[in-house]
Amino acid sequence: MNPTLPRFFWSEYRKRRKKAALITFALFWGTLSILLLMAFGQGMSAQFRVAFSGLGDTLIMVYGGQTSLEFEGLPKGRQVSLYPEDIDFLKERIPEILRIVPESYSFLQVSANGKEINRTVHGTTAEFALMRTQVPRMGGRFLNADDDAAGRKVAFIGWKVAADLFGAEDPIGKPVVINRIPFTVVGVLQKKIQDSMYNGPDADQIYLPFYAYNQIDNRRRINQIHIQPHAAAQSKLIEARVRTILGKKYRFNPDDRYATSFWNTIENAKEGMAIFKGIEIFLGIIGALTLLIGAVGVTNLMYAVAKERTKEIGIKLAIGARRQVIVQQFFLETLFVFAKGTFWGFVTAFNIVHLIRLAPINYDSFGIEAYLLRPVFSWQIFAAYMAILGVLVFLSGIFPALRASRSNPIESLRYE
Amino acid sequence: MIELQDITKVYRTGSQVLEALRSVSLTIARGEFISIMGPSGSGKSTLMNIVGCLDTPTAGEYVLDGDNVAGLTFDQLAAVRNRKIGFVFQNFNLLPYATAWENIELPMLFDGKNGRRRRERVTELLNAVGLYEWRGHRPSELSGGQQQRIALARALANDPPILLADEPTGNLDSKSGEEIMAILTELWREGRTIVMVTHNDHIAAHSERTIRLFDGQVMA
Repeated sequence: MNPTLPRFFWSEYRKRRKKAALITFALFWGTLSILLLMAFGQGMSAQFRVAFSGLGDTLIMVYGGQTSLEFEGLPKGRQVSLYPEDIDFLKERIPEILRIVPESYSFLQVSANGKEINRTVHGTTAEFALMRTQVPRMGGRFLNADDDAAGRKVAFIGWKVAADLFGAEDPIGKPVVINRIPFTVVGVLQKKIQDSMYNGPDADQIYLPFYAYNQIDNRRRINQIHIQPHAAAQSKLIEARVRTILGKKYRFNPDDRYATSFWNTIENAKEGMAIFKGIEIFLGIIGALTLLIGAVGVTNLMYAVAKERTKEIGIKLAIGARRQVIVQQFFLETLFVFAKGTFWGFVTAFNIVHLIRLAPINYDSFGIEAYLLRPVFSWQIFAAYMAILGVLVFLSGIFPALRASRSNPIESLRYE
Repeated sequence: MIELQDITKVYRTGSQVLEALRSVSLTIARGEFISIMGPSGSGKSTLMNIVGCLDTPTAGEYVLDGDNVAGLTFDQLAAVRNRKIGFVFQNFNLLPYATAWENIELPMLFDGKNGRRRRERVTELLNAVGLYEWRGHRPSELSGGQQQRIALARALANDPPILLADEPTGNLDSKSGEEIMAILTELWREGRTIVMVTHNDHIAAHSERTIRLFDGQVMA
């Protein structure tokens, strides 16, 4: 191509840019809409993962129950309880288990700083933090193995408990009295979103070392066992093996669904993710259809532009423009309009996404905004969008350009 | 040298057949100034379009400077229009959004001439037609006479040996028309071949020879 031609095309384009504004706007709007749609879809999906991981990461919870089947001469209706020694018993027998911790809890009176409240108090071990997303606020910590070994009376409290008892004060190092026994606060839970829970959100809970907890609640049995597998895919296998092993130990039929019960968050997450994947696909289809409509619009506009410029094409052909020149000009103009429209669409979408992300989430009343206020701008989606739109714009630019270049110069010159 | 031998042009629209030119034979020597006259529908413009390589004949032979035009491709014809032929139209046919300068520059851009050569040539042509001061104006900001002078300058951009003028004074007042004819006459004197279509005997009188068409045939 003659290198001066693009400069000439540019000069011509600048003079007609108001006429190209409609196409530019169509591309801008299409890009903005699709990128925002996809960002919200991705954001909702990501926030679902975050909210779900507020409960824990690849977690299987095991509860005791009551037998519903007779087994080896024993009647149905027997109570099955879990005990602290089941932790090592299961860990030794199921190699697929990565972590396993006990948990007991009671609703107890808690007082500190002259205030008195009733909250669920839990007894557990250090690894609970890794399994149940218990991230301490800066300056504090969760319970550790030494707390149990040394019989320390320490407590890790939810941020709402901290606010209820200490207001704006830092509770770290301060005492709380639980069931008339003083404990020292060693950590406060960092704010998080949590859409799955038992006994209410973690923000309202108090956690004590397992040994210390047993001093205020001397039941020997535990409420539940938390298991984290090495791999999420092993969750069903672990569930089956726990039933078999506990069935053998406590003499119940492993097929008895009521003797022990499970909350398999991995399976729940799979179902949840399938729903959000469905939403993402739905938004993607809407985006693709919008894109298609946009491309048809651009094609129509390009044809209209080519028609409007029939006489100009005739003049150019009459004074010696080759077909290639006409095609190049139309095509470069389409390309430029495409680049301009999509660039501003991208910049606007990118900034809207980042502005929305600046909005604070209310962790104390977790609602729909937690899903909507965290859109995710995906570069992969943007790249895919650009590739698809590039092909559509290429097609919508090349056909009017070819048609224009094949014009009969005489008929074009007569066109008014 | 322009040689037309038994040129026929037939237009078909559905079942209708229109014979615009019928066995027209014509030779125009290098450096000649001829007028083509005839009533509306006589085939003047069709003949002009064929001579100007904007159209191809249905039958017959057109030889331009020894080359048979019938054998040329679309782009080869474009190259002929760009380098060998300059067009001046009745309604000027300037690009409305381009300035006088850009309109004159365009054929040179299509010919791939470099920036310096283009600048020199456009300056020379604008001075020749007395419109250098108007170089930055668009056609809508120029009078009819000025537009036609810009169109003439554009036609001369690549220094073509042949100039085709289709009713060049048709849309101009008599004074502007005379100015254009004066330029065309001057160009002819410089050695260019001028082929002009006109209705006006007074304008045709500027030429050396007049060809009259009637019903697609040469009368004299």
